[in-house]
Amino acid sequence: MKKNAAASSALSTEIAGIKFQNPVMTASGTFGYGMEFGGYTDLNRLGAVVVKGLSLKPRAGNPGPRIVETPGGMLNAIGLQNVGVEVFLKEKLPLLKGLKCRVIANIFGETIEDYAELAKRLDNAEGLCAVEINISCPNVKKGGIVFGTDPIEAARVVHAVRRSTGLPVITKLSPNVTDIKVLVRAVEDAGTDAVSLINTLTGMAVDVERRRPVLAMSTGGLSGPAIRPVAVRMCWEAAKAARTPIIGMGGIVTASDALEFIIAGASAVQVGTASFIDPDAAVKVAAGIADYVKRHKTTVRELIGSLKTG
Amino acid sequence: MKNRIERLCEITHNKEVSSSYFRIGLKWQTPRIAPGQFVMLRVTDSLDPLLRRPFGIYNVIDAAGKASLRGTGIELLYKVVGRGTRILSLKKPGECVDVLGPLGNGWPLPRLLSSGKNRWGRHDKIIMTGGGMGIAPLYLLAKKIKTGVVLFGGKGRAEAGLTKAFKGHKIRIATEDGSVGKKGFVTELLKEELGPDSAVCACGPVGMLKAVAALADDAGVDCYVSLESSMACGIGACLGCAVKSGAHGAAANRDYRMVCSDGPVFLSRDIDWEAL
Repeated sequence: MKKNAAASSALSTEIAGIKFQNPVMTASGTFGYGMEFGGYTDLNRLGAVVVKGLSLKPRAGNPGPRIVETPGGMLNAIGLQNVGVEVFLKEKLPLLKGLKCRVIANIFGETIEDYAELAKRLDNAEGLCAVEINISCPNVKKGGIVFGTDPIEAARVVHAVRRSTGLPVITKLSPNVTDIKVLVRAVEDAGTDAVSLINTLTGMAVDVERRRPVLAMSTGGLSGPAIRPVAVRMCWEAAKAARTPIIGMGGIVTASDALEFIIAGASAVQVGTASFIDPDAAVKVAAGIADYVKRHKTTVRELIGSLKTG
Repeated sequence: MKNRIERLCEITHNKEVSSSYFRIGLKWQTPRIAPGQFVMLRVTDSLDPLLRRPFGIYNVIDAAGKASLRGTGIELLYKVVGRGTRILSLKKPGECVDVLGPLGNGWPLPRLLSSGKNRWGRHDKIIMTGGGMGIAPLYLLAKKIKTGVVLFGGKGRAEAGLTKAFKGHKIRIATEDGSVGKKGFVTELLKEELGPDSAVCACGPVGMLKAVAALADDAGVDCYVSLESSMACGIGACLGCAVKSGAHGAAANRDYRMVCSDGPVFLSRDIDWEAL
């Protein structure tokens, strides 16, 4: 019993005063509202489930084709299709009650007021441990990446959310910027409790036979193993500049992939596209990290930012 | 939910049955499978190609060789069209592939099998219409629907060969080059077969399905189409396989439906064919 407790604490991590049983979360937009995966994986063995981005009103999403496979990855332009915050609170969140994993709501607005209103609606929701602000979706016309690439706009969104909720606030950043450090500092100064990155990289695929973009929206967000080295580099840069914890993501498939982010400075990781290929991927990553920690006689907390350079 | 599982399945056979068309057998103590359901196969352990590939379930093999929907293995029929299917075609018996499934809804067998006038209308004659590879999921359906008619449309002789396995049904074939059966499209045959007490089950290229749906609509009969789409997860999470809902029908108030989790079988009037 004592041994188990020691093993579990070796895996735990803390973000904004919240303890997670392990550092592995599911990335928003790749795990539905959680229960879609209930029959394929043990949600109790995750650090947290981060649900699909929520807007005030339900969103239909973009026309198809919405996805296309690319070398070692995929492009998507889903367009933040979601049930809306009210249906989420009434029908989806209660299904996750009683699970050992934490639940984080990801929110998306077209205006700063939308973000603030969403944060307010979620403030007293039972079972939520934090709010992740999506200011980095490349696939919607209004909002999204507009807020994520301008440090002043990003700060305004974070500030508005910060004032509207007592929940810890995580800000999800876009990699489609020149200097990630500027964005990290801007959202920290505005009061974010943690930073998650990277969202997808803007990309495009062309159907040469038809001389048309493959995706109906022309461009989409690139995810999957292809983007991992970019993501690790950006997390490393962000971690060096940050005062708050970093949640790293981008192309994580295995425990070793996740450990790259943790060693480079991330306090937790999110598994995204890998869940599409293997619905049990995030749990396998958590199990692999447990093996590593045991093998190296260390803890996740010790590993965070333990990168040796020079 | 318990029925939906991911597992490594041993390949029992993987043979070219017609030029570039393969039939693969996978050892699998299956749960009950509905005709029209599909599986997502991972053809490699590596990350390229990255995503699973969807395949309609062609056949369920059971020890007694009966037309059961439970069995000790499944068969898939596939055409080599790209990297993923090429890798699959090179796999040998004894090797394993990672299978996720069975997924999707499948054709509504109880509705189709209830003959005579009932609350769903008359479904005395089920017309199973397949175009090219679209014949694959119709085989299992035909096994359960004894009184149906099978119509097949293909480019030529190689594709028409796919209908050889269909036994005990009236089969009519149309080929574009006229090498087998009637010269032309399968919709010509459908026009001749359609009656007021028919129901249509169709799978094939979008252009064909569009034409089939229009004919069924004109005849005022139910038409169940099985759609194809690129998809990443197969379980309703990625939302990549969206198709637009029709202005009428049960889905009228929903903008998009997911081929993987709402389908792949849809009532044709629930789909916006203009948007496809």
